[in-house]
Amino acid sequence: MLDSLKLCMHITRRNWIVYKKDLIANISPTVADPALVLVSLGLGLGSFITNVEGMTYMQFLAPGLTVATALFTSFFESSYGFYVRMTFENVYKAMLTTPIGVKEVVLGEMIWVGLKGAVMAVGVAIVLALFGLMVNPWLIPALASVGFLVALPCGAMGLLSSAMVNNMNQFQTVYSFLIAPLYFLSGIFFPISQMATPVRIVAEFFPLIHGVRLAQALFWQRGIGEAFLYSGSILVIQSVILCIFAYYKIKKKLIA
Amino acid sequence: MIIAKSLKKSFGDFHAVNGIDLEVKKGECFGLLGPNGAGKSTFINMTYGTVRRTGGELTVFGFDPNTQSRDIKGRLGVVTQDNALDESLTVLENMQIYCAFIGVPKHERTKRINDLLEYMNLAHKRDALIQTLSGGMKRRLVFVRALLGKPELLILDEPTTGLDPAVRHLLWGKVRELHQNGTTIVLTTHYMHEAEVLCDRLVILNQGNVAAEGSPQKMIHDHAPGYVGIFNLPDADKIKKIISTSDAYVFHEDTSGVYLRTQALSNLTAFHSDHGLLPLQIRPSNLEDVFLKLTGKELSIDA
Repeated sequence: MLDSLKLCMHITRRNWIVYKKDLIANISPTVADPALVLVSLGLGLGSFITNVEGMTYMQFLAPGLTVATALFTSFFESSYGFYVRMTFENVYKAMLTTPIGVKEVVLGEMIWVGLKGAVMAVGVAIVLALFGLMVNPWLIPALASVGFLVALPCGAMGLLSSAMVNNMNQFQTVYSFLIAPLYFLSGIFFPISQMATPVRIVAEFFPLIHGVRLAQALFWQRGIGEAFLYSGSILVIQSVILCIFAYYKIKKKLIA
Repeated sequence: MIIAKSLKKSFGDFHAVNGIDLEVKKGECFGLLGPNGAGKSTFINMTYGTVRRTGGELTVFGFDPNTQSRDIKGRLGVVTQDNALDESLTVLENMQIYCAFIGVPKHERTKRINDLLEYMNLAHKRDALIQTLSGGMKRRLVFVRALLGKPELLILDEPTTGLDPAVRHLLWGKVRELHQNGTTIVLTTHYMHEAEVLCDRLVILNQGNVAAEGSPQKMIHDHAPGYVGIFNLPDADKIKKIISTSDAYVFHEDTSGVYLRTQALSNLTAFHSDHGLLPLQIRPSNLEDVFLKLTGKELSIDA
């Protein structure tokens, strides 16, 4: 068990070593995208919207952006990133000749995307806090847990799609029909209560919606305990279920 | 070290390995020879559990690869068919990551890596990026990677495919040295000569079955003794006519030429002196001829 966990961490570390080689290229989208959204929607569109749930549009938008960062960083890492490692670079083929098994590969990758989600969420939160969009900036470290908890289920979805696509192009379909809806319909851009009832019911199953709730609780400093109890637990359960699915699917890919 | 009994692996209707029996003994260099698709890699992958057998028995170090692969993998090193090195990292970084994977204690890592790089004539490339290495250097580095854990069993899955003769000979020398130092080696190849040079014992696989087994010399002696003359294809009819009255020859014709195998060298030189037909080449028979006889096909033809 301890050996297994150690091996997982070695995989996580391996990904970090490769990642940091091209840090600027790797980190740009995660930094630039939320900044663009903040400027265009927050400042631009926000000037027409003066009051959302008793705050400015910028204030409303901010928590969702941290969570969106965790979504994108984890999904792209575990879809395109993982797929390339698996299919073109044969990284796992070589790894599996060592004491590493598929369980360690999947768990190691999940820890990696989780940590990445945590760091990115904190990074974005720091910037947003500098804009004065966080009621209590001392809560920034807590956003690491939100980034981690969002990255796990979203990363597992990425792994699942990696196991199911026949080529890289097909990730675009996954993006259009799964990731984009998560992004646009999880209450980042407008309050969830504004959505039509059927959409609201479906959205309740999205991991992202719970991540948004957690981030909002932290950013606005209200109902933090309840949010973690409810949305936090749901994210944990979703992570476990999706990771188990991902494990079995990936296993079929790596072990013939 | 490896014992397989009626070992089978099917992918749907396709039987990649179709009930083979074989044993690899401690300290020997054992070869698996066969054309592409013969089941060599499937067998290799079954030994450490990345392909799960669908029938028969298989043990490696006494462990079952389907359920105890970690116990097995801790004791073997594999030169994989694909290099699968991290191109954006340096030689040293690549090897350090693998040291961690196989559990080499931290304080021993640098020395072990340096020693093996030295052994494979790669010490000067220690800090070079993988993407700057030549194909032969990458291959040598994969050998280093496979040896990091001081394996009892070294698996070489087509170790020299696509390499130039100089690198191939260098690697053969290293394999011999490792063998002499007591490492058990399992080698797959579709180069007859490689198997003949390196292996104590080998099996020829064909379409998932063992077609022949034994030492290279014994196989040649049993199945295709003598000498082979290779003639120009246009002379085929003439040659057929000449040998039609004799049973001293084994005749084979394909797109690359006419192959005549016979016990005595003089039978071949006579073609020149008596009939004015000069062979392109005369050579002692080898594993290629064994394979040809057993399967009726050339080994190099892709399945």
